[in-house]
Amino acid sequence: MKKWWLLFVVLGFVGCSEDSDDQASSQEFTEVTLQFQNQIEGENVVLNSETYVNSEETYEIETLRYIISNIVLIAENGEEFAYPQAESYFVVNEENEASKSIILENIPIQNYEAIRFGLGVDQSNYPLNGVNNFVPTAEENNMLWSWSAGYIFLHFEGNYTSATENDHLFAYHIGSHGQALDNYKEVTLDFQNTLALDSSNSIAITSDVSKIFEAEFSLSLEEIDDIQVDPEYSPQVMANFSQSFSTQQ
Amino acid sequence: MRLSFFLLLSLFLVSCSEEDVNSGYEAIVENDTLSIEIPDYFPEVTYNFEANPPTEKGFELGKKLFYDGKLSSDGVVSCGFCHIQDFSFTHHTHIVSHGVNGALGTRNAQPLQNMIFMNEFTWDGAAESLDAQPIIPITAEVEMNESFSNIIDKLQADEEYPQLFAEAFENGEVNTDNMLKAISQFLVMMVSADSKYDKILKNEGSQFTAEEEAGKVLFDQKCATCHAGVLFTDQSCRNNGLPIDPEYDDEGRSRVTGLQADKYKFKVPSLRNIQITYPYMHDGRFQTLAQVLDHYDSGMVVTENLDPVFQQNENLGISLTEDEKQKIIAFLETLTDDNFLLDDRFAEF
Repeated sequence: MKKWWLLFVVLGFVGCSEDSDDQASSQEFTEVTLQFQNQIEGENVVLNSETYVNSEETYEIETLRYIISNIVLIAENGEEFAYPQAESYFVVNEENEASKSIILENIPIQNYEAIRFGLGVDQSNYPLNGVNNFVPTAEENNMLWSWSAGYIFLHFEGNYTSATENDHLFAYHIGSHGQALDNYKEVTLDFQNTLALDSSNSIAITSDVSKIFEAEFSLSLEEIDDIQVDPEYSPQVMANFSQSFSTQQ
Repeated sequence: MRLSFFLLLSLFLVSCSEEDVNSGYEAIVENDTLSIEIPDYFPEVTYNFEANPPTEKGFELGKKLFYDGKLSSDGVVSCGFCHIQDFSFTHHTHIVSHGVNGALGTRNAQPLQNMIFMNEFTWDGAAESLDAQPIIPITAEVEMNESFSNIIDKLQADEEYPQLFAEAFENGEVNTDNMLKAISQFLVMMVSADSKYDKILKNEGSQFTAEEEAGKVLFDQKCATCHAGVLFTDQSCRNNGLPIDPEYDDEGRSRVTGLQADKYKFKVPSLRNIQITYPYMHDGRFQTLAQVLDHYDSGMVVTENLDPVFQQNENLGISLTEDEKQKIIAFLETLTDDNFLLDDRFAEF
């Protein structure tokens, strides 16, 4: 009887839990900081004053915020350490220095080869895994649409000047469109040098913000300066944005 | 020992199997308490009970939150303000929703019932999950106009809530996730499946009158394409030919998808308890079912994306005689579920 009882416990865990990897009792843990830097042409972005060039137009950035989620560190042996999903939602806000340092706690000390993270909120996991605890943070950073229960993954605004417009507003608010369109993206960055964790660790991750306009797709503000719930352009913005990241690690 | 064994077994089944939820009257026995009776002719459950199983304490907490004005910026407008149980959780005298400080919304409060079978929520599908839906009315300026940070502060400072959260959830925290889970635990229990129509399907001795029976035949011919199945909705969004109200110029589902092809489409509502959920349509423009049927018979206009189902004959819409309308209404009245409307479990007081 006792054995059967145990069997059920085991079945229960195996059947329902996906992250039941046994941790060796000797495993040590540490803290890792992801240091996000938003740059254009190798320089840190300066909001509201610096003028940048996109093809035939110039622009200033007023707001630059995005959601980082579902962080996974990939070890040398291919093993993945997924940061607890409920704790794994962050807003990187260019206005707020502290928001650019994402501190991950209790990371197993071992050698890592790569990092993977999400841009936005994974649609298939919206209601689950504690994501709703992210609502107040998203709300404070204007990363929620008022008429929809969805999140704004990328909030990018400013002014631009082109052949026909002078100091005109632009706004990209990109998220998923209910069940109709999933704009969540995952980014995997391989480390150039194996990350051997010790007691204090930092991984620098850079977003080349100009790639939002120019990467897989070429976007012109003069052509369209307001991209929000737009099934044609919003996936292009997210595709470009997901290609903007690199790491110096 | 034997008891523990059974408890584990049932936990295991509940947490890993979703098929069992629908078989006959089999109860959904959650971690310790609440079960839901679902007739076997109902569709598959869409709600993820594994992630948020309703418990007695969670339900009670959800109910308190649902009826608490603290969730709004003026401390008055609760969820239950617009969703009144007697009217299957709609509001009769309000054509569109009313919010804080007398603000007016643009849409009519939808009934709350059978949500565990739905794929998307709100008139345009702007909420993909029941757990996220309350974010919309709570934060909307013209509804409850409150931020979650403020609400959590208020709940944490409250004399009762911290204890109630501690009892309802394993981690005991007063946070957004638990708050929305508790509200869902209250909402998922709202299954309306005991109308006269149901009693007939269940062979409980009820019978349609001749008029109701004739109405059912007409309904199946003329309405059931969209109002399909036992929930009386195929859950699609469609344009049903309402003249555009310039006051709102509500574009419907295209606001969610950005697709021109979704302009003026709204979710086909369930017709359960339809007799008492007036006013009708997304903007509450019709007060009676007779007006609704008049619209389908002779009131439609051709606007962008008018559903092809209404354009099959030379005449727009669904032609109905006065006698046919009366019979259809008689049938629709058999969908009223008094046991649900009077169910003490959901009552504010």
